[in-house]
Amino acid sequence: MNCMPNNPATRRYARRFFATMAAYVVVILSVVSSIKHFQPTGTLLYILAVLPSVPILGVILVVGLYLVEEKDEFQRNVLIQSMLWAIAFTLATTTVWGFLQNFAGTIGFQPYLAFPLFWFFVGVATPFLKRRYR
Amino acid sequence: MKNRLRVLRAEQGWSQADLAERLEVSRQSVNAIETGKYDPSLPLAFKLARLFSKPIEDLFTDEA
Repeated sequence: MNCMPNNPATRRYARRFFATMAAYVVVILSVVSSIKHFQPTGTLLYILAVLPSVPILGVILVVGLYLVEEKDEFQRNVLIQSMLWAIAFTLATTTVWGFLQNFAGTIGFQPYLAFPLFWFFVGVATPFLKRRYR
Repeated sequence: MKNRLRVLRAEQGWSQADLAERLEVSRQSVNAIETGKYDPSLPLAFKLARLFSKPIEDLFTDEA
C-alpha cells in the first residue's frame, strides 16, 4: 500500500501498521528471551508461543479498518483486487508446496509463513493493477 | 463506460489534480475514470454530476 496517496485513511493505516509492527518486535524479542532464560513448560509455554501471533493478527484488523475508512473507492478497489490475486497465489503456492512436502519430502512449509507470503503477493500485484488503470 | 469528463474538466480549466481535490479522491482515481478503465459507483457519479451541474447522462454514455 506504499504507493497509495497520502490521505487521512492512509496516514491512519501507516500509523497503526507501524505501531503493530513495533509491538511485534517487542513481543517476539521478549518471547525468545523468556523461553531461553526460563524454559517454561505447559500452559505458560503455550501462551508465550501464541503471543507473537497477536500483533500479526492485529495487522488484519488494521487493514480491515483501512478498507472501511478509505473514502477513495478506486484505491479501495485496487487493494481488494490485489488481495484477491494474493489469495489465489498464496493458495496455489501452499497447495503445491504441501503436495511436494507429502510426496517428495521437500522442506516443510511453516503455516505462519502464509501471512508474509500473502502480503508479498499483494505487493507484487498492486503495481501491475495500477499500471492497468494508468 | 465512455464519458466526457476530460472535456468538461477542460472547460472548467481544472487539472486532474483539481478535480481529484474537489471529489476528495486521488488523481489516479480521476485518471482511471476519465480513461474509462474504472466505472465509478453511483454515489461518485452523482457527485461528479453535481460538480459539473449536469445530469449523469451528460457525463457518462452507455455503450450498449
